[in-house]
Amino acid sequence: MKLCKAVLPALILSLSLSACGGPGNRVTALGSSSMDGVMGILAEQYGLDHPDVVVSVEGGGSSAGVEAAITGDAHIGLSSRRLKGAERERGLVETIVALDGIAIIVSEDNPVDNLTAQQLADVYTGAVTNWAQVGGADVPIAPVGREAGSGTRDGFEQATGTEGRCVLTQELISTGAVVEAVRGNTAGGAVGYASLSAVEGQKGIKLVTIDGAACTEQAVLDGSYPVQRPFVLVTRQEGLTEPARSFFAWAVSPQAAQLIRRAGAVPTAQEEGEEHGA
Amino acid sequence: MAHEKMLSRKRMEGAIKALFFLCGLTAVGAVLFISVYLVCAGTPAIQEIGLARFVLGDAWNPQQEQYGILPFLLTSVAGTGGAVLLGVPMGVLTALFLAKTAPPRWAGAIRAAVALLAGIPSVVYGLVGMVVLVPAVQRAFSLPSGANLLSAVLVLSVMILPSIVRVAETALRAVPREYEEASLALGATPTETMFRVSLPAARSGVATAAALGVGRALGEAMAIIMVSGNVANLPAGPFTAVRFLTTAIASEMNYAPMGSLWRRALFSIGLVLFLFIMLVNAALHAVIRGAGED
Amino acid sequence: MEAVLRTRALSLWYGSAQALKGVSLDVPENRVTALIGPSGCGKSTFLKTLDRMTEVIPGVRVEGEILYRGRNIFDAAVDVTTLRRQVGMVFQKPNPFPMSIYDNVAYGPRTHGIRRHGELDAIVEKSLRQAAIWDEVKDRLKRSALSLSGGQQQRICIARALAVEPDVLLMDEATSALDPISTSKIEELIAQLRQRYTIVIVTHNMQQAVRVSDQCAFFLQGELVEAGDTQAVFSAPRDPRTENYITGRFG
Repeated sequence: MKLCKAVLPALILSLSLSACGGPGNRVTALGSSSMDGVMGILAEQYGLDHPDVVVSVEGGGSSAGVEAAITGDAHIGLSSRRLKGAERERGLVETIVALDGIAIIVSEDNPVDNLTAQQLADVYTGAVTNWAQVGGADVPIAPVGREAGSGTRDGFEQATGTEGRCVLTQELISTGAVVEAVRGNTAGGAVGYASLSAVEGQKGIKLVTIDGAACTEQAVLDGSYPVQRPFVLVTRQEGLTEPARSFFAWAVSPQAAQLIRRAGAVPTAQEEGEEHGA
Repeated sequence: MAHEKMLSRKRMEGAIKALFFLCGLTAVGAVLFISVYLVCAGTPAIQEIGLARFVLGDAWNPQQEQYGILPFLLTSVAGTGGAVLLGVPMGVLTALFLAKTAPPRWAGAIRAAVALLAGIPSVVYGLVGMVVLVPAVQRAFSLPSGANLLSAVLVLSVMILPSIVRVAETALRAVPREYEEASLALGATPTETMFRVSLPAARSGVATAAALGVGRALGEAMAIIMVSGNVANLPAGPFTAVRFLTTAIASEMNYAPMGSLWRRALFSIGLVLFLFIMLVNAALHAVIRGAGED
Repeated sequence: MEAVLRTRALSLWYGSAQALKGVSLDVPENRVTALIGPSGCGKSTFLKTLDRMTEVIPGVRVEGEILYRGRNIFDAAVDVTTLRRQVGMVFQKPNPFPMSIYDNVAYGPRTHGIRRHGELDAIVEKSLRQAAIWDEVKDRLKRSALSLSGGQQQRICIARALAVEPDVLLMDEATSALDPISTSKIEELIAQLRQRYTIVIVTHNMQQAVRVSDQCAFFLQGELVEAGDTQAVFSAPRDPRTENYITGRFG
């Protein structure tokens, strides 16, 4: 009995201490897990520069991120795709903080080095089924993709104009699995898409150029590499709390550009933010 | 003084009994809660989509407003059925070997291996399956991709082996020695005795083992999501990329927006899965009771 | 008359413990031979060697010979399943299979290749009649054998053993688990069966040995002390140990 009396208050105290940082100094960002790399680096640096502020980054997917911005569950929603029509009506501000090149990967033994945008779309819609049809060996094509709702998939399908028409041999739930599936295909016939930062330095696979453009920062920025998606910070028009506004302003400024680059994405620091109102 | 001591012991008795009761209630409460929650969370979408269109629709494409789960239902049936067809005979034969004829050192090694198998987490099965089995299946059958129903069935049958072996071995060991001696004394060989006396005598235990295997196979998600292809196709053959009821929920729960019909439909899949498992369990239970009654 | 089974200097060890010490015994044809002796004397062990059922126990070692109709049953060329068809056994505790009465009795013949229903029906009826239980069960052959009383179950086991048409029937204390009425029914059965079969029984009940057997063999601590005509052994035992056992000085 005596022990209980001592332990209980101690428990309560420690629990409340763990929420330290205070609700007023907390910035929450939620949404696309593809943006984990970028947001993680930004949050870490901001936390070092402002020790009294905690920036927390959570996953849940692009759609969840937009939702969280609408309901106020998070200060900043993270989306790896542009806002959809219905979402734009809800008083949201869409700010593109970076561009993510979506690399197209094939087995390193595949002789094909380049695909046109049309060929890429045909491969994924099933109009083209053999590598021989696009200048490669006589090997059946096995398109690998992500599951429905994934930001990467949405981004890919938006960029290639194949929404709702993709015919896949595998729908995997992580980028790592996609890379592994392409690498592990014994006939060397698999093709997959993944965030550029995730596939750099991976063995066993190679990137193909699309319309002659390689997936580089320059090509993504100037638009010559067509398969890309925006990393969007979604906020409410009514404005943000002070800590959140401060973090936001820093994240889209040229000061954060180097960090974004380090995370593998292409910063848009020179671009103006776009506003869409209701 | 003695009176007070007696009172406090009585109070202790009462308290402990209450504690036991509470624990029991917790189990009942949990099941009740889950059932009620699933029914509440799962029925709205079915009402909105229409039961027939939901259960018999053959296209699952939420972003195009198509919510048919027939591909998942058939895949779960085919996948579990396949795993049981492979796993139960293998498991029962292993159990027979362990219970009746294995030399002691082999028996110990095999039992240890089976116990280890039981402890491997589902994700690890999935990982190994993806890296080893899928390419092997692709090579063996010259397919564009090795991630299909067959690979899922193979992984599942290995996963359910431990449960089957353990329960079946216990049941076989429990067969009275006298039956086996009588059989041998009549001129039957040890093998004939195993199959014509021991196995039939243990059939209720073996049926329970099979039921355990079915239960595990039906509920599996992580192990098969990386080897089955995970595409919402009807299981047209062993080489089709398929998605199960379980993996359907696991794949999209992260992405379906809150409050959307899509998300509610995923809960409905959960409800269907839950009902399906209840039905299978009830049927197996009836079979086991029938087998035990002979 | 022929000795169907003869053992020559038969010794048996369970691990390092010797259970049989150089037993040489002849079992005459169409007679009932009773093996008697106190607990642990080796009579059951001896019985089990006659159909090589001791081999089922791990760690058993045997020396010596057992000749069945002139052939050593330990010969490599002898098929033990054939031997066990010819030398059948009924156990102390009735052990019918958890199957129907029909399937119990038909088990042996089915094992040895008889599949046709007509043939099996005939064999089942014949065996149940020989075991004097046909009338009691003929209307419920499909019922489980476990639904019968202890005495009836034992007669089913006897019928089951007879169904493979053995030459010799070994009965290991077959009535000690039964009530007196069932016991006497089975003793009557034994008296009838010896016209067609050679029977060896193990019993710890001396009165039963006197009632039922023609020949008697007294075992003590793994040795065969004395064997001969039952009447002779009991009225005029040659060995003082036999006399002590028979008169109840130890048991």
